[in-house]
Amino acid sequence: MRWRRLLQGIVVAAVAMLFASACLSESGGGGGGDTGGQTGSGDKSIEIMYGFGGDQSKGFVDAMKQFETQSGIKIKYTDASQSFDTLIRPRVQGNNPPDIALFPQPGLMLDFAKQGKLQDLGSMLDIQALKDALVPGVLDVATQDGKTYGFPVNFNVKSLVWYPKKAFEAKGYKVPTTIAELEALTNQIKADGTAPWCVGIESAGATGWVATDWIEDFVLRYGGTAKYDQWVKHEIPFNDPVVKQAAGEFEKLALADGNVFGGRKSVVSTNFGVAMNPEFQDPPKCFLHRQGNFITQKGFITEKVRQNLDEEVGVFQLPGNDASSKPLLVGGDMAAAFSNDADTKAALEYMSSPKFKFANIATATWLSAVKSFDLSNYPNETTKTVAKLAYASTESRFDGSDSMPGAVGAGSFWKDMTAWISGQKSLDEALKDIDDSWPS
Amino acid sequence: MIRVINALLAIVGGVGGALLLFWILNKLAEMLPQRGEERVKPWVFIAPAAAAIGLFLIYPAVRTIVLSFANSTSTAWVGLENYTDLLTSRDFQITLGNTLLWIAVVPAVTVVLGLAVATLADRLGSQGEKWTKSIIFLPLAISGVGAATIWRFIYEARPAGEPQIGLLNAVWTALGFDPVAWLTVSTLRFNSFLLMVVVIWGQVGFSMVLLSAAVKAVPVDTLEAARIDGANERQIFFKVTVPQIWGTVITVFITVLITVLKAFDIVFVMTNGNFNTDIIAVRFFNELFRNGDNGRAAAIVVMLMIAVVPVVAYQVRHFRAEEAAR
Repeated sequence: MRWRRLLQGIVVAAVAMLFASACLSESGGGGGGDTGGQTGSGDKSIEIMYGFGGDQSKGFVDAMKQFETQSGIKIKYTDASQSFDTLIRPRVQGNNPPDIALFPQPGLMLDFAKQGKLQDLGSMLDIQALKDALVPGVLDVATQDGKTYGFPVNFNVKSLVWYPKKAFEAKGYKVPTTIAELEALTNQIKADGTAPWCVGIESAGATGWVATDWIEDFVLRYGGTAKYDQWVKHEIPFNDPVVKQAAGEFEKLALADGNVFGGRKSVVSTNFGVAMNPEFQDPPKCFLHRQGNFITQKGFITEKVRQNLDEEVGVFQLPGNDASSKPLLVGGDMAAAFSNDADTKAALEYMSSPKFKFANIATATWLSAVKSFDLSNYPNETTKTVAKLAYASTESRFDGSDSMPGAVGAGSFWKDMTAWISGQKSLDEALKDIDDSWPS
Repeated sequence: MIRVINALLAIVGGVGGALLLFWILNKLAEMLPQRGEERVKPWVFIAPAAAAIGLFLIYPAVRTIVLSFANSTSTAWVGLENYTDLLTSRDFQITLGNTLLWIAVVPAVTVVLGLAVATLADRLGSQGEKWTKSIIFLPLAISGVGAATIWRFIYEARPAGEPQIGLLNAVWTALGFDPVAWLTVSTLRFNSFLLMVVVIWGQVGFSMVLLSAAVKAVPVDTLEAARIDGANERQIFFKVTVPQIWGTVITVFITVLITVLKAFDIVFVMTNGNFNTDIIAVRFFNELFRNGDNGRAAAIVVMLMIAVVPVVAYQVRHFRAEEAAR
């Protein structure tokens, strides 16, 4: 009898707790959905979901604080940095999307746009004014069937070559302005007895992405923006001759015998984050490294170099076919809206204005995509130089692999470039296999 | 804080919920007349478990087989296309070949090494046996991801002239050779063997413990009888000991074989299937979560399931035979 009473007690407690836990896990706010192009009135609270963490997440919250106090709108920040795409998919499928999401990869954003889940930003923002204010070309990747679904809230430049300033100048090397001059410089450094390039494409589960950036950069140069766009949308085969030419140039510059520190074999086993560091040994083990401007952030380059960035590190834009052509490969997080109300509109307007100082944090290396952004906000000369290159650019394109379907852009393109560089596949086989993997 | 409370409530609520369910079912059964109660009661207690297995194992299995004939978003039928596409792709053939290689090598080596350690440790003093067995058993306690991370450091390669932080390359360069990026050497599937070493390292402890118990259980009089009949140590081992522990050998072999078929973490962490080291489970993960292709991922799992069925069937039969012989 005693046992039975105890059992009854446990049962009652368990039921009570089940109800209690159900109440606690209920999420507040959020919601939204398609309002048919009409901007609703809003309830003074929105949720923003994004795929970056740590210092960058803190910087974003700081940058939005001013907006929160001025507008009185409360923001719920959802940091999905562990795995943005696998976290946002179920939210959207479960009809519980955030109001605004900052997509690290435009490909996923356009997937949702195709499913009709995203708001056409034209109903909330002046798209033409936005286009004029931003670095040219960055909105194209977020536009589908004439509707714009996103704009970059931060942005990084990928077509950059970094060099050890002091040693580079001491040797009398000159910054190249064309691909031919870059080849000549490569040969000159090699003749002087140092491997010209440092290349590392290892990145755990994402190994290979650095190589895809190289290929994209040269496709943009040899094919021009028109052909580049066709290639990214698979309107021409993935293994089009221009891609082969681009890969050939990458191989000639940075993979050939004696051209890369450690040899071609070490490219696939060197982590991208530390690949540049041999440049700053004495004497330098290499002089050239192509990577986006995020490479100067804490944890990648050595602290000693980072503290004296402007004196130690030089940077130039990866040159084009001739001195006047300066195509730029860029990347960044795209803000897109799932709801359409006054609060969302206000937040989007703020994030697309030069007042939004996301870039103004010393630990980050991000740029603002707004051309009129006050350069004095950037923490050092190096970042200013990169920003100037970006704002002066006339033809820029978003990182192509980020806009391709996931099976290619985050799958076969990475894997087959790795297989090609490490010798398991020939270039023709690799490019053919990528083309075959494109989802129909 | 709320998360912690929620987790605790979920645990308490889950256990309590199960208790409640059985309590109610039991009550209902008790309301029946005596004979009905006796007949129904076993079902009352086994039905929830059977239903759970049906819901979480059988239903998904059937669903997976169905989806393997559909397209990547499971919206249209494509017939056998997923299977033919996979089986004709060179990458997948390599993946299958690697999986077969793993099956052929890992269980056999694990059993042989485990048996060797068990037999040899048996002849050490009791202190020596305790220590060697503890050390060999330790890796079993390390998770797959942890083991893979440790061995990544062992195989780590830096360009020539840089300090080598990888153990293998440190030794290799000290001997005067150039550093080698071990995990990228796919000649003769060398890198696949390097990955198998990690699994074997982790599983030998398990194999050793079971086989050691079996070796110790071999009756001493059978060994003595063999000795009196003039058998040498080798003959005693192969003709007297091994036949008597054969049942345990088969059990260990099959358990490791199933571990190998499910192996994922080691390859995923160390190479992610690059450099021709892909195996079936990693390929499945990448098809489903990276490429978002439900159809192909399902087809891969169905193939894996077909490969596992005979092994499991054999194990069940073997188990029954052992039970019957007892």
